[in-house]
Amino acid sequence: MKKHILLIGGFNKTLSLSNSLIKKGYQVTAINKNYDDCQKLAEISRLNVIFGDGTKPFILEEAKIHTVDIAIALTQKDEINLVICELCKKKFKVKKAVTLIDDPKKIDFFYKMGVDSVVSAINAITNIIEQQALLDDITTVIPVGEGRISITEVPIPAKAKTVGKKLLEIDLPKEVIIGCIIRNEESLVPRGDTRIEANDELILISSDKQEKAIRQLIGEG
Amino acid sequence: MKLFSTEKMYTLIIGSGRLGASLANDLSEQGGNVIVVDRDKSSFRKLSPSFGGLTVTGDATNLNILNEAQIKKAKTVIVVTNDDNVNIMISQMAKELFGKQHVISRLYDPDRQSVYEGFDIDLIYPAILSVNEINRLLKKHNKETD
Repeated sequence: MKKHILLIGGFNKTLSLSNSLIKKGYQVTAINKNYDDCQKLAEISRLNVIFGDGTKPFILEEAKIHTVDIAIALTQKDEINLVICELCKKKFKVKKAVTLIDDPKKIDFFYKMGVDSVVSAINAITNIIEQQALLDDITTVIPVGEGRISITEVPIPAKAKTVGKKLLEIDLPKEVIIGCIIRNEESLVPRGDTRIEANDELILISSDKQEKAIRQLIGEG
Repeated sequence: MKLFSTEKMYTLIIGSGRLGASLANDLSEQGGNVIVVDRDKSSFRKLSPSFGGLTVTGDATNLNILNEAQIKKAKTVIVVTNDDNVNIMISQMAKELFGKQHVISRLYDPDRQSVYEGFDIDLIYPAILSVNEINRLLKKHNKETD
């Protein structure tokens, strides 16, 4: 059985999400209440498109909600997304309901209402912008867990004062750990006595203070 | 209950439409303390000139506006905007985030009722009320013609 994913609202997000989900082999259904958007979505092969208001239970039933494994609410209105998720969870017992949220202050409230995963675009984007603006030497920052945790790739320049030091000699903030070191195409899991070498790439996992940690790691002595 | 007599108990009405505004007028006339919230200032024109309560202009799905409307002090919260989804979210916020005991909400579409399950929120269904009332009138007519 293919996993069935239901996308509700949000034209551009649905467009790119459905494309990538179908490629990964999921069965995807989209609900949209704009008729023109529906017609454009219908051009995607293997995507089921339903024209209607996703907060109405009979529209969800039309989308075969009972077979849906994951429902994702992508409209721009928080109240609409909340009602969709609550209908999916309470009325139709969908296993997982995911929603976008506009107002980050309501994230906890949405979790309390039984939504399984609340994605705040604003939080994720501000985190990325902050990190990109503050640290241009870092190649990639991946936010995970609604942006609370980030995974950061840090190349160590030859001039850094940490080169040749053991990990336990570096006083990193406790919110940060070095999860992995990539050295000459090989990856090794570091221990306290692992020495950092020039041109190593460190993979940091951090909940906070990664800027401070990175400055410590790549700072010149 | 003299202890509490100095403390004013508010009724908070969200949505100043026909229902919200006439309810506010009624309660205010009976001497109650009322705060009405609506995101459109012009909808307060429906309040009668003798309305003695307060009005707050703003979107009540915003926590700041709810705080501004002193939801913490409100005894009863009545959510009667013209949008079911907004009503659902605000009344659940009043219950969960502010721990309000008495929340009354209007729901146009009875199909969405299951969303309110598990919450102690009093619901009014205009469609069902009208059906019952029309049925009553029909029965009366039938009796008269018998």
